[in-house]
Amino acid sequence: MTMKRWPAVLALLASGLGLLFGTNSTLDYAKHLDRSLHDVHCSFIPGAAPTADAEACRAAMYSPYSAILKESYWGGIPISLFSLGAFSFFAGVALYLVLAGPRASRGVQRTFGVLSLGPLLTSIVMFAISLIKLGALCNTCVGIYISSALLAIGGIAMLLRPNVDLANLSSGPTASPYAVAAVGLMALGVTTLVPGALYAAAMPDHSRFLGNCGTLKKPAVPELLTLKTSSPVKSAIMFEDPLCPTCKAFHQRLVIGELFEKLEPKLVLFPLDSACNWMLSEPLHPGACIVSKAVICGGAQAREVLEWAYDEQEALTAAGKAGDKQLTALIQTRFGAKMIACMGSAATKNTLNKHLHYAVDNSIAVSTPQLYLGDQRFCDEDSDIGLSYTMAKLAPEVVR
Amino acid sequence: MSENVNTRSSLVPIAAGALLGSALLVGLTFTVYRTVRSAEQRLAQPAIAAEPSGVAVADHAEASYCTPQFKEVLERVLHSCGLETGESRRGCKPSDVKTFAAISDEDFNALFRPLQDRGGVVLYDTNKHDLDDAAKQLVADRFGERRGARYFLVVGRASPIGGTEKNRALSHRRANSVLFHLKETTQDPELDKQVGTLWLGSEFAQLQEEEFCKWPTSRPGGKCDDRFVNQSAFISWVDCRL
Repeated sequence: MTMKRWPAVLALLASGLGLLFGTNSTLDYAKHLDRSLHDVHCSFIPGAAPTADAEACRAAMYSPYSAILKESYWGGIPISLFSLGAFSFFAGVALYLVLAGPRASRGVQRTFGVLSLGPLLTSIVMFAISLIKLGALCNTCVGIYISSALLAIGGIAMLLRPNVDLANLSSGPTASPYAVAAVGLMALGVTTLVPGALYAAAMPDHSRFLGNCGTLKKPAVPELLTLKTSSPVKSAIMFEDPLCPTCKAFHQRLVIGELFEKLEPKLVLFPLDSACNWMLSEPLHPGACIVSKAVICGGAQAREVLEWAYDEQEALTAAGKAGDKQLTALIQTRFGAKMIACMGSAATKNTLNKHLHYAVDNSIAVSTPQLYLGDQRFCDEDSDIGLSYTMAKLAPEVVR
Repeated sequence: MSENVNTRSSLVPIAAGALLGSALLVGLTFTVYRTVRSAEQRLAQPAIAAEPSGVAVADHAEASYCTPQFKEVLERVLHSCGLETGESRRGCKPSDVKTFAAISDEDFNALFRPLQDRGGVVLYDTNKHDLDDAAKQLVADRFGERRGARYFLVVGRASPIGGTEKNRALSHRRANSVLFHLKETTQDPELDKQVGTLWLGSEFAQLQEEEFCKWPTSRPGGKCDDRFVNQSAFISWVDCRL
């Protein structure tokens, strides 16, 4: 008899696991509504403590796919929040199926089996997005995917059970299978949507913070680089360091969110490397000055060189720490000797210096990345989960 | 009776399941709601929400030689010579320097000693103010090494040969030859805000051969004595914030 209950037991355990990962993920997300940085859970181990070192989970959290209605609410409503309601529903029904055993309504079992495919399908879609769009898997998200898969295994096992013996054992009020399916679907819908509705109602108003982070004092100088985009509608100035991981992540968020192509960005290279940047006493990103020169030498193809530097950031950073020769060799392998000659020229050095002096003339903070829409600074706090909302408010033409 | 017991026992799993599902839903939703409200409270109290970031602001370089005395003289030079005030009047003549610097010749030159690695001495033929190729190269090299400096100083001088008035004019032309060359080669509209010129003629802060002939000059290895080293324009970026 106990053996016959394994699908329900598995579904119950899977729901519990899903709730654990879903809750961690949702609470991590909700904490960030205070516009500050917080540690996040990013482990397969249920109950593992949050950590600051959770790049993949942060990338997923900051991506446009982590939440819905991102342009209407600052941060949007996290997808993981819907898993709380769904897994609560499945946990409740699974407990009923465990306790009822073979006497459980066949209609409930079938409905459970069909509905359990919902989280699995959602997980498959999110898994594909993670791999294709983000290029990384977040452990907490994988925890939810695994939970969904286990839940579906339990559900499918219930669907595949033979009817004969169970039909005889079923007791209690009988109802039409369609009615059971309709009630089940409705209950799942309500439990899934209720947390989201309450979350949206409780969200703080962020509109008062937008655009309060300063302005540029001086207009762009001719030495700044133009990054080519396909349909520019809003002028922007970006201060970036090609070896800065945060710059890379921000750039990718703009690209993935389909915002970058609508900007008309001027690039100010602001390498956090004391080899050329006197504002630092020691290099934060060794080699960033050299890579910045390569971006300058990219000229009209500066965006390609910058994005190559972001793609190869790990290797370039390691080479930068090993020494200038190793770093230069990597650049030469990709772009050839002509690029190296350009990087060594006085004109390139002078251009990079002018980029740094442009930062001085505007008294910007010594940090990267920084984005200015027109001359208005896009607050750092709005550059992650609040990106779409802030862009929609400050530059609606970009999100249209 | 038996039917009642069966019905009751079949309701237990339903009730248990409904109770668990509802408890989880309500409990977790409340936890999320509380987290959202807590974030809102932190937003309302910025002092709790965020510590001061302490991020530095981009600024010009500040080298160790920027002593208060050096800055005082530099400030007077830049202010009195129109660089800081943006006046049309450009540069300072010897009498100005004597007045506003309020400093002896020796002390004035001593201030510039730390700039030996940063600066250079452009040498001219007697009674001439034209830059030769080597002088142009020295100016280009030194000007190209701006790094984080805010100001570029050009101090024209003349040797004691000739009259005071003539030497004032000559040192003025020498300082201007550097400025005009920079304007021509850089085409930088902001140049006037960066380059400060002084001309000292032969009457103030003459350079001493034993010290300044050892500086990078536009004629390395050439003849250099007290006379030649003052047929010059001293050039250097100054890494000081004012």
